[in-house]
Amino acid sequence: MNRKITPGKIVLEIVSVCIAVLFLTPVIWSLAVSLKTEGVPIHNAFNWFTPPFTLENYPKILLETKVPFWLFNSFFVAILSTVLVLFISSMAAYPLAKLNFPGKNILYLFFLIGMIVPGEATIVPLFITANGLNMIDSYAGLIMPTIAGSMNLIIMVAFFKSIPNEMIEAAQIDGANNFSIYFRIILPLSKTVLVTVGIFAFIGSWNNYLWPLLCTTSDTMFTLPVGIPTFAGTYTVDYVKPMTANMVASIPAIIIYLIFEKRIVKGVALSGIKG
Amino acid sequence: MTAKKKKIGWHHALGIIAFLLPFTVFYILFTIWPVIQGFYVSLYKWGLMGKIKFVGTANYTRFLKDKFFWQSLGNTATFVAVSVPLLVILALVLALLANRTSKLKRFYRASFYLPNILSVSVISFITIYMASPYMGFINGLLHTLKVIPANVEPQWLSNSNLTWVTIAVATVWWTVGFSMLLYISALQDIPDQLYEAAKIDGASKSRQLFRITIPLLAPTTSLVLLLQMIASFKVFGQIFLITRGGPGTLTRPLIQYIYETAFTKNDLGYASAMSYALFLILVVLSVIQIRLQNRGAKE
Repeated sequence: MNRKITPGKIVLEIVSVCIAVLFLTPVIWSLAVSLKTEGVPIHNAFNWFTPPFTLENYPKILLETKVPFWLFNSFFVAILSTVLVLFISSMAAYPLAKLNFPGKNILYLFFLIGMIVPGEATIVPLFITANGLNMIDSYAGLIMPTIAGSMNLIIMVAFFKSIPNEMIEAAQIDGANNFSIYFRIILPLSKTVLVTVGIFAFIGSWNNYLWPLLCTTSDTMFTLPVGIPTFAGTYTVDYVKPMTANMVASIPAIIIYLIFEKRIVKGVALSGIKG
Repeated sequence: MTAKKKKIGWHHALGIIAFLLPFTVFYILFTIWPVIQGFYVSLYKWGLMGKIKFVGTANYTRFLKDKFFWQSLGNTATFVAVSVPLLVILALVLALLANRTSKLKRFYRASFYLPNILSVSVISFITIYMASPYMGFINGLLHTLKVIPANVEPQWLSNSNLTWVTIAVATVWWTVGFSMLLYISALQDIPDQLYEAAKIDGASKSRQLFRITIPLLAPTTSLVLLLQMIASFKVFGQIFLITRGGPGTLTRPLIQYIYETAFTKNDLGYASAMSYALFLILVVLSVIQIRLQNRGAKE
């Protein structure tokens, strides 16, 4: 490896830092705005980033608006759908990867169809279906349509196939049935893939916009992505409150990202390769 | 597979069904059924309260003559044409920058990908507040740095050409990190020996880039290209939130037109018929993408 410091390398380093700063600026600016006192005019663009800062907007947002409802709904929906995604996809993946039964290949192909069905293009009939099931404006309506994704199933089937058959056979000889094999062998050995799929399910649900927009009608059922635009629309003059709401919506996702950054990087590669 | 050929008892069969049932039910109900239901609805005049009357293929012949359908499809195509090349090229550039040996490697990667985890509402409102005239950050910065005179206020959100710039820049900023990660994982698969051999042969850095790196990334490039085209054809959230499709309907994408037809004009039948046009485009792109990937996986 060539470790010499050349002018070319320094230029590339500077360019990279500049682009990274450019990418972070909108987020840092939003954070800075949320720390400003409402109604104080800013004349020089750099003054956004300099004190005085205050935390007073955060309690205001949390106490005087519907944001706590949306925060709760977003968390509740994201956590529940993540748990359900992990359970029902891993359950279905186990027999598809490790057991023999008639019609297995046809069933798997049938589950693959979902890869090419664009959810955005079936949103109108999905609404009619959910409406027919009386699910509009309910948690069931927000959660249930999002939990059976082909992608998650495919990733899990591929991973479960890599678990050695000998482990399962040994357990079978010891008299273990499929349920105990699933709970005692498959799930514990699949922590990495479960975490990866889980992170994407959580962030996907946390940021989902189109379906919650259609599925919720009362403002106490909104999730953050649906609520924030309605809220910001009433504050066109001052940015401080909407930006604080923006930060409230983003901080949980940013924290999860910073904790699981490496997993997310690997997960993207996995999902990209698998489609 | 060395699994024993065991006779499938009813107990065993019930177990398998129990494992498969929850996924199958949700999958049929919310993925497969809407595709069938959508076709059925598209043959009717259908309101929010339900079926009104059978109209056959009238909804399909109607959108063929609907100038707003073609306008919104055109807007979506414009968005695809503007954003996809930018996204692919920038993703590659960022991947090359973030994959160099550097102490700041993780910082680069994390910064480039960070916007990707923000929700569309958040990035849209950041964009609106940054780009708005008089009080926005961008014009403020341009004034502070004296790039533009104090009496000039570029209308990033209402001039029809500038709105496309704003939407494209916001989209690139928000989503490029994903493709960058795909490129990074492909870059890490290129064996170091290739570069070492090239160096011994005296090939310059730029020659290595154009003769080794970029050709070997070709499968990833076609994957990224297709994934971005699919994602860009589905564009809705950021345009709907940043410009509301405006000025007028000049940036309104197809999904927004479908959404408005269904839920503000109460014409779900017509909206379903138009959805099938989008459906067709996306299915064709997805099939190409999956075939490309399978070819890539076999190589």
